[in-house]
Amino acid sequence: MDGDSAHSMEAEREMTRLWRTFRTVYELLADRGYEVSDNELLLPLEDFRAKYADPLGYPEQCRHASLKSHITNKLFRNNSRTKMKIQARPTETMKMKYTALPSKANPNPQPDCGTIYVDFCPDSSGVGTKQVRAFNHLVDENNFHTGIFITQTPISPSAVRLLSGVPGRICEHFQEQDLLVNITRHELVPKHVLLSPEEKAKLLERYRLKESQLPRIQISDPVARYLGLRRGQVVKIIRKSETAGRYASYRWVI
Amino acid sequence: MAQQGPSHPLKTSLPETYAAVNAQQPPPSCLYPTQEEQDRYLEGRPGATQQHLEVALQHAQQIQTQKDAEDAILNRILELLELPSSPIEDPAAPSQEDTVKLKYSLAPFRPSDYDNLILERNFEDLCGYALCPRKHRKQATGPRGGFQFKYGPKGSGPGGRGRSVDIVSQDRIEKWCSDACAERALWIRVQLSEKPVWERRAGDTRGTTILLLEEARAKRLKAPAATSSVSSVVNDLEVMGLGNRDRSGELALERGDTSLIRPDGRVDVNIRENQHGSQQVAGAPQMRPEDANGGSIEGYVPRERRGADQDGDIDLLDQI
Repeated sequence: MDGDSAHSMEAEREMTRLWRTFRTVYELLADRGYEVSDNELLLPLEDFRAKYADPLGYPEQCRHASLKSHITNKLFRNNSRTKMKIQARPTETMKMKYTALPSKANPNPQPDCGTIYVDFCPDSSGVGTKQVRAFNHLVDENNFHTGIFITQTPISPSAVRLLSGVPGRICEHFQEQDLLVNITRHELVPKHVLLSPEEKAKLLERYRLKESQLPRIQISDPVARYLGLRRGQVVKIIRKSETAGRYASYRWVI
Repeated sequence: MAQQGPSHPLKTSLPETYAAVNAQQPPPSCLYPTQEEQDRYLEGRPGATQQHLEVALQHAQQIQTQKDAEDAILNRILELLELPSSPIEDPAAPSQEDTVKLKYSLAPFRPSDYDNLILERNFEDLCGYALCPRKHRKQATGPRGGFQFKYGPKGSGPGGRGRSVDIVSQDRIEKWCSDACAERALWIRVQLSEKPVWERRAGDTRGTTILLLEEARAKRLKAPAATSSVSSVVNDLEVMGLGNRDRSGELALERGDTSLIRPDGRVDVNIRENQHGSQQVAGAPQMRPEDANGGSIEGYVPRERRGADQDGDIDLLDQI
């Protein structure tokens, strides 16, 4: 009996971790401006477990040697992470923010965003070029604009390069442990708001600046990664101020 | 590039091949803007000159070369994951085809790229040595990332007694299928050049001439056999015929002494000391009339004292 309760404790912990990651992904999509329903955003742990856990309460199986004897049925061997695929479409506001200003060369610009696809990698170790190639292929085949690849362990350097090298598509990578907690909900992280090209042009005109004269934020900054910022965009950062109530600053993504 | 055919995995730019191609033809039009485009770009920018544009383009080309090289290395890593071509190949005697492919592919690698290759092969459950078809070791004992004792062969300990003991992290052991493969793989790693491929000079052979461990051993065994025995050295000397006066001219030519004055290659050299230096000897200082006054410094009289002299005052110091 003791062994069983230990198992269920561990199953509970793993399931909770996965659920928190899953919810953060939805929050991330919502914050970026994709269409996400409230049901998905506020998915309770019970529902998540009912949907994705196996009969023993684990998010995945065959990882624990002690459990292998329990499992003979092949049906149980599927991994809940393979079921956790997410797709989302951008909202109108997001499309507007990602549409460049009309210019002489391009008088009618199209929004540079599209359907996003999130994939959880089921392998618990050794994620290399093989998995990333499969992911890239999937994104390319289904014509997704953006792909997010979520793994349990760090991926190899060549895999990182392979992921960023898909022409015409944006592929990002997160580790599950990075998404356990939504960093933008922390009280010390100020609010970051992406400016549309129009707002950016107004800002530069008002302060008579060139964009290179703005303070900068790195593209690898955790919040920039969370928001999926791209080089050349400007974010407005709104902080609390003791004297002024709120204080807005602007940063140029490089 | 065309002469290398479709099997050539490089899309553009190993500098050595790139330089050779560049010398013959202008860069491909898809990479380089035409004169018309350049002019149009410059029109809208009054501060910019043709020179600015050229510098910018040159830098852009360099960055592009770098990116292309990195892509090529990534492609080669992916290709090397497929090696060896047959699953029963012996890593100690790899097939000629695979060996050639490995050596060719490794040419632009840095040691860090090679480490990436090993990592990727391990992720694919293969031994880190590219020519070994076996699986890498997996030790179930102990927690992941622990350390292990590793014993050397008998008599390898201090003073030739006992066994040497190494403490090795488990990751390092698990990269390979056996110690022999580890040696082979690391032997290749030390031959790679640290310099990134886009910074290498055209004639730089380091990193491009790679020997497998087996080849290097065979070479080392063969090389000393030719020169080791005293008699063979004596034989060689006799064959060269150093004592033969007729051949001295030939030898001179071989040394590079091609002077027409001395066809036999010898020049008389007389060493003579330079005589000029010894005639000027610094003499003792002489008394000059202006020195009688005293107080001058190398003939210069400080201004205050000069004034005093004009007043007709007598400098007491001089009297003493």
